[in-house]
Amino acid sequence: MQRFASLRPGGQRALDLVNFFVADVQTAFGPFVAVYLTTHKWTQVEIGFALTLGTMTSLISQLPAGVLVDSVHNKRSAASGALVGIIVAALLLALQPAQLPVLVAQILHGFASCVITPAIAAISLHLVGHAALGERLGRNARYASIGNGLAAAVMGATGAYFSSRFVFLLTAALCVPALVALWAIGAGPYARTQTTARVMDIAGLKRLLVDRRLLIFGICVMLFHLSNAAMLPLAGAAITMRAGHFANIIIAACIVVPQIIVAVVSPWVGRAAAKVGRKWLLLLGWGALPLRGLLLAVLPGSWPLVAGQAISGVSATVFGVLLPLLAADLTLGTSHFNLCMGILGLAMYLGAAISTTMSGGIADAAGMQTAFVALAAVGAFGFLTVWLVMPETRPAEVSPPVPE
Amino acid sequence: MQRSAVIAGMTAVLLIAPAARADDAVPQGAPAPPPPTAVQSVPAEDAEAILGQRVTDPEGKDLGRLVDVLVDANGQPQAAVIDFGGFMGVGNRKVAVHWSALHFRPGDVTHKVVLEMTPDQIKAAPEFRDPTKAAAVVTPTDAAPGATSP
Repeated sequence: MQRFASLRPGGQRALDLVNFFVADVQTAFGPFVAVYLTTHKWTQVEIGFALTLGTMTSLISQLPAGVLVDSVHNKRSAASGALVGIIVAALLLALQPAQLPVLVAQILHGFASCVITPAIAAISLHLVGHAALGERLGRNARYASIGNGLAAAVMGATGAYFSSRFVFLLTAALCVPALVALWAIGAGPYARTQTTARVMDIAGLKRLLVDRRLLIFGICVMLFHLSNAAMLPLAGAAITMRAGHFANIIIAACIVVPQIIVAVVSPWVGRAAAKVGRKWLLLLGWGALPLRGLLLAVLPGSWPLVAGQAISGVSATVFGVLLPLLAADLTLGTSHFNLCMGILGLAMYLGAAISTTMSGGIADAAGMQTAFVALAAVGAFGFLTVWLVMPETRPAEVSPPVPE
Repeated sequence: MQRSAVIAGMTAVLLIAPAARADDAVPQGAPAPPPPTAVQSVPAEDAEAILGQRVTDPEGKDLGRLVDVLVDANGQPQAAVIDFGGFMGVGNRKVAVHWSALHFRPGDVTHKVVLEMTPDQIKAAPEFRDPTKAAAVVTPTDAAPGATSP
């Protein structure tokens, strides 16, 4: 077994690069699509429909995509297919910003994202095994956030100086180094059965679905995003209301500063998850949410809001590292790792979808401050759920890192 | 001279042809024949497309994009919805501004729309949210920043 890893000493470095480039690529497919379509004379209703279609696709595809990745033997093939789908989506957006191509691109990207997230987590598990997974996921989060932050800064700058079409051409181009790095990882030796389902594995499926810990953690994940997802857009709206000419720079800081914090603390979070257990870190990440909501509600002016947003770096780190780690904990002994990632992804998307609608309604009716307090209250409820109900999931054999 | 007149005549026929075909497509039993369609050409320096166009302040600083136009029963524009600011799509804010605050220069190749408002007025303006409800339209003629008409 050991020969797998020794064949490819650069596997860890290649996986760093995969995380970096995939995060680059995903940056353009966010709220930026709305800006891009506006420049192509799309009406607000059409843009809303295209964005909703993308979100709905991601929501519906979580479970099927998880099952699909479980059934594919080579996860690098699954991730490659997803990257090719993202290339097509980016090129469609860049070259044909008409109704049908854009809707196809939104569907393609929505599905591809649901494949690539569990696939990268499964590749990480193959490469390092369960015992070292926390540290590996910390590295994943570090390089993904460097990719995200850099891409947001570069694309924000180029979108302002060149055409916004350039952003999507750049996105398509960045998929190529992602593909090269993906195949440079090599086949990892660990946990092959945990991530590759046998056909009709009813017993394993049943064991996963009746696991009470999965239900509880799913609820925690949903509450996290119910509180988290709307905070940045709401903070952005607060900043444009308070700051004049500098608004865009402050919003850029609100996006980039948390990414820097993720890049700095995520390897530490990954190691700590293996040493002190998952629960303490879950409490840290979920506990940062209500604090951030309250700070955003009471901080004056616009620059201090960046400090409030910076706290999101802590919760984003914990979420990014612990979600795949708990999926690995919960599927030990089954063969449905990717399906479990899909279930948790579904909980995340549900929470996020409700979050923006709910906070928008509250902000309209009772003001922005009330909306921040309401999001903080949801976050506090999530924190209490983690604290009082969520059990520790770290498997016994992993607890003391065995020294040679 | 003779040749250019012929070309002009052919162009006119080409322009009218699609309209004539559209007339044929009217279902039978229509109450009245549609009025004859006249095609007139509007030079690029007389009119321009404005949806999605950049909006700047009088000094030429980029403010946002024009995303919608509110018209009255006569089809006269009353206000424009402008999408202000934002970074990578985060922090955008739509504000309806009175039509008289906007200046258009169709002849200019950059097609920029100029908005006659101070940053403070824009900052204090209420957000335009729901097109079905009464829109708060910012009118620049009032001296007080953020003055609105319901």
